[in-house]
Amino acid sequence: MRENLFNREDMAKAWQGFKAGNWSEEIDVRDFIQKNYEPYHGDESFLEGPSERTAKLWKRVDQLIQNEVRSKTISVDLERFSGIDNFPPGYIDQEEEVIVGLQTDAPLKRIMNPYGGFRMVKKALESYGLEMDPELEARFNEYRKTHNQGVFDAYTQEMRTARSAGLLTGLPDAYGRGRIIGDYRRVPLYGIDYLKEMRIKDKANHEGPAAEETIRQREEFTEQIKALDQIKSMAAKYGYNIGRPARNAREAVQWLYFAYLAAVKENNGAAMSFGRNTAFLDIYIQRDLEQGLIDEETAQELIDQLVIKLRLVRHLRTPEYDQLFAGDPTWVTESIGGVGQDGRHLVTKTAYRFLHTLNNLGTAPEPNMTVLWSDKLPRPFKEYCAYMSIKTASIQYENDDLMRPVYGDDYAIACCVSAMRVGKEMQFFGARANLAKALLYAINGGVDELYTDKNTGEYVTVISGIEPNTQEILDYDTVLGSFKKVMDKLANLYVNTMNTIHYMHDKYAYEAAQMALHDPYVHRYIAFGVAGLSIVADSLSAIKYAKVKPIRNEAGIAVDFKIEGSFPRYGNDDDRADDLAIMVCKYFIEALKRTPAYRGAEHTLSLLTITSNVVYGKKTGTTPDGRKKGEPFAPGANPMNGADQSGALASLNSVAKLPYKGVNQDGISNTFSIIPSALGKNLEERVTNLTNILDGYFNQGAFHLNVNVLDKELLLDAMENPDKYPNLTIRVSGYAVRFNQLDREHQLDVINRTFHEFV
Amino acid sequence: MKGFLHSIETMGLVDGPGTRTVFFLQGCPLRCAYCHNPDTLKRVGGQEVTPQRILEIANRYRPYYGEEGGVTFSGGEPLLQGEFVYECLKLLKHEGYNTCVDTSGFGNPVFYSKILPLVDTLILDVKAFDRESFRNLTTIDGFDSYVNFIANLDLWGFNGQIWIRHVMVPGQTDNEESMRRLVEIIKPVSHRVDRIEILPYHTSGVQKYSQLGIPYRLEGVEPMNKDKAKEFEVVANKLFSESLHQERKANELRKQEKLKLFRDKEIASKEERTDVFANLRKLPLLSDVDETDLDEVLNGVILLNIKAGEFIFRTGDPPDFMYLIYKGQMKIFYNTIDGEEQIFYIYRDGDFVGGLNLLVATPYRYIGQALTDCKVVAIPKAIFDKFFYHSPAVLRSVLAKSFERIRWAEELIQRLATSNASMKTAALLLKLVKLIGVETEEGIRLELSMNRGELGNYSGLRRETITRKLGEFKELGFIELVGNKVIVIKDLEALEGYVL
Repeated sequence: MRENLFNREDMAKAWQGFKAGNWSEEIDVRDFIQKNYEPYHGDESFLEGPSERTAKLWKRVDQLIQNEVRSKTISVDLERFSGIDNFPPGYIDQEEEVIVGLQTDAPLKRIMNPYGGFRMVKKALESYGLEMDPELEARFNEYRKTHNQGVFDAYTQEMRTARSAGLLTGLPDAYGRGRIIGDYRRVPLYGIDYLKEMRIKDKANHEGPAAEETIRQREEFTEQIKALDQIKSMAAKYGYNIGRPARNAREAVQWLYFAYLAAVKENNGAAMSFGRNTAFLDIYIQRDLEQGLIDEETAQELIDQLVIKLRLVRHLRTPEYDQLFAGDPTWVTESIGGVGQDGRHLVTKTAYRFLHTLNNLGTAPEPNMTVLWSDKLPRPFKEYCAYMSIKTASIQYENDDLMRPVYGDDYAIACCVSAMRVGKEMQFFGARANLAKALLYAINGGVDELYTDKNTGEYVTVISGIEPNTQEILDYDTVLGSFKKVMDKLANLYVNTMNTIHYMHDKYAYEAAQMALHDPYVHRYIAFGVAGLSIVADSLSAIKYAKVKPIRNEAGIAVDFKIEGSFPRYGNDDDRADDLAIMVCKYFIEALKRTPAYRGAEHTLSLLTITSNVVYGKKTGTTPDGRKKGEPFAPGANPMNGADQSGALASLNSVAKLPYKGVNQDGISNTFSIIPSALGKNLEERVTNLTNILDGYFNQGAFHLNVNVLDKELLLDAMENPDKYPNLTIRVSGYAVRFNQLDREHQLDVINRTFHEFV
Repeated sequence: MKGFLHSIETMGLVDGPGTRTVFFLQGCPLRCAYCHNPDTLKRVGGQEVTPQRILEIANRYRPYYGEEGGVTFSGGEPLLQGEFVYECLKLLKHEGYNTCVDTSGFGNPVFYSKILPLVDTLILDVKAFDRESFRNLTTIDGFDSYVNFIANLDLWGFNGQIWIRHVMVPGQTDNEESMRRLVEIIKPVSHRVDRIEILPYHTSGVQKYSQLGIPYRLEGVEPMNKDKAKEFEVVANKLFSESLHQERKANELRKQEKLKLFRDKEIASKEERTDVFANLRKLPLLSDVDETDLDEVLNGVILLNIKAGEFIFRTGDPPDFMYLIYKGQMKIFYNTIDGEEQIFYIYRDGDFVGGLNLLVATPYRYIGQALTDCKVVAIPKAIFDKFFYHSPAVLRSVLAKSFERIRWAEELIQRLATSNASMKTAALLLKLVKLIGVETEEGIRLELSMNRGELGNYSGLRRETITRKLGEFKELGFIELVGNKVIVIKDLEALEGYVL
């Protein structure tokens, strides 16, 4: 018999002082946390400032980041392609670095990852005036096929048209899909050797006839085992043996980071999230503190230095991509807080330490701090979060009381709002469908209102078999009937498109490092999305409660709408309009579920636009709610600008009605911006008020809230004098961006969005 | 029953404590030059709503209210729709909502005594500080009526806290003298004032005037500088704290004078005293007093001969004595702003007055004057507190006496401690100064071992209230907050003003 790869004695040594449990018999990180963590009920007064080393290191890194932003140039490793162990070790300043490891051999030097799509890499390099090693290019194209090529080989004409017309947008068919979170905690807790041993067993146990599923599974297991070897080898180049488990807090942080680093060396997924690590790390930190091995300053130093590294993660993107997503986001999302199934909250001192990096290092958009809000979180923690929101506009909130019943108490958020059990579930990311456009198709007989054939100049039919509407005044039942038909067809097309994309992504750009840190068999979600929900709800409401007269051009396309009379708008806590929004979500997810998904994935739906609400607006004609052609959509599930007649809480109440579980189960994003003086007279009042608003909103079953507490004047000033505000951060959709990295159009969109002011 | 509603602000975070749903009602009799809601002036307009609908809307926002939040009626002048507001408040109070009314004091007086007992916070807009500027600003000759409104708030059964607001227009009240007058005007309700806010005049409502086709009377006046307004807000609050201090000093003086006066009128003859004492023992008021204590009680009280026309107490007298009429008649009255005498009661043999004042430690609101020659027993506070305060018989008698105000008496007894949040917070800080205060260059440093919630419990305030008060004191420059656990006292005198 073959000998075990791992050493039991190493484990016993590393686990000294930990309470044993199921986790000590098999891979079960949740059990480890539940048996060993200590909830912290107190406030932030224990926190320490940055250590001297951290301050020095951050000063250096901040300069590098500012230079990159200001010069609008990037640095790329042009000699190699992406891979877990393809790069020599890199340092910023070895003297000051407590936690080491960079994606390439230098900070902010980006990786070329051609497996998602070669053209994307080429285009990105060209736009920055860079060129990859010609031999590398020649060889790659000679021997390798990419995900992007695979998808386009299998796309139907209908799929291509829907994509070109902008009905389906942002599909991950030319770049990495992301939205997978490895359970990076497994590396510090068990060490790579044990994980490899287990995966070898998993592979050996995978029996059955060699059908496509089985063959693919075995091949993937092998890829994962190789990836584990590479992670170990990569860490060894930095002088660490992560084959064994971590023995103290510093090693735990370091091992955890190596595991994540492997993921971002291998993949350039749109969102490469970090998971849910604070309670886990707190156990190690607490043990070291109790043994007197470290003090609070050192504990904070570990977290600060980890966050510095997370802030340095970069991917090679085209300027168009950056424009769409407003800046250079990486969605290194860390989920903080929440409550366990036994009723104990999961707030630890390390949750505070993580948020406190915004003080020690200053504001920054990454990592994407996501607080899992629950009624049961301790009040001092709630107030600290509110205080940090007011101070930094860098935190988003998601409702743990909604997610816990669905995902248990060891899930994390990928990207902005997508929940999944860490190491047990993954997601096939699927961008979004433009439902405002779909509603226009219901009126225009499936013909796009803007998109014309390049050769003939004629309008293009995107969804066939839809009767054009010829009514002088739009009749609600007629329009709704056609709209449902469009949604049925669109849903079928959307699922088929996604199946094609993810089949090819598995085949040509498989995420071996991340999947090696999952259970052998995972549950998969396939996440669809909707843009323009508020426009659809308002338009249907206008057609139902007012008189809407379409103005058609000679081709019979409705290019404008005359509205007579008033109608309720989504965003006023008025059921007449809000129910329409709910009805549309429910109908669409049901329609999606009728087409089976690749690998038996479970269909989910999100109301999230990232910042592409501006681009969607550009590509969509005038809509029956009075919105003019080209005007931006509202982001995510937000009501339209200026729709709310009676203030922000009415707007929050409307959004809170949208159902999560089983309907919009991939998340409902809502952004809330308020000027400081409207939130209360002084800081203390503002903290109390914001805390109560968050409690009130989430207690009604709402899902997500971005909070910005900023003065409009300040943003206007920042537009004119960007150098005065190098780190000004603002939350948009499900993430945060550096205000200066937004282009002017997005900056204006942010400023023009409803800012709740004093009345 | 329907009201005229102009609009709703579902996230009112500055119109009363906490998160509030603000209902802006139609109609206002004033025509303030700076009014930024001229579209609310008409009495009829907007949408018609029932009190039931108001309650339904409040129910939708209840989850946001926290400990201090609730419903605010603003406008326009909400008291103008008195009956509607009363019906709304009844429903809301029944459901346990915290209520606030934002008023300039020009409503329908018929409903004042119904509405005011149901109001937790009154936002009181002080428009101007003399007759002429009041008329110039509002076009109404209403200064006296306004002063009267303030003076009568307690009488109408108001038992909540007051937020004072004043809109400061550059060149008009942006001076210290105006702040002094502001403090003077609110003196009759000083024991209820929780904060004073100076709102800088702004021009963001001006375009509404051209839309409505009304001329704008402050054309060309620049908006008030926000920082300047803040400075005056600090001045006003300091003056207010000072005035509380002065008031207490004046009370002390009055007390001395009164004692001196009483000594002159004290019944000197031994026979008469014995006679009176013998009869006093039979009074039901003394029925709870133990036989063993009776001597002490009788030795502690003062027996007075008051001639017809002489005064026994006056408005503003501190609650030092309770009076028992042994023989004779006394009238209890009040001078209205128009100089008219409003008599409330005529008391006779065996009646007593002032029990409630002593119980809740509020100064005398009215004037007591002898109608005939009287023999009066003055019971000093010390004796009252020792022998009567806990006596059910006294409590019963006092409650019976206060029949007219019985509706709110219950609430009063619950709140035996009278001081408002400002005073309690200041008192707490001073207590902490004594206990743990360390003199430093920046001020007296308090290193706390309590969090906000515990501080609240210690001082009898809610967590959100103490947090808010500390924030206010910080803003006024009285204290500095260093993190959550350190408070530095910057202006001890100002804090002392609230309590000493």
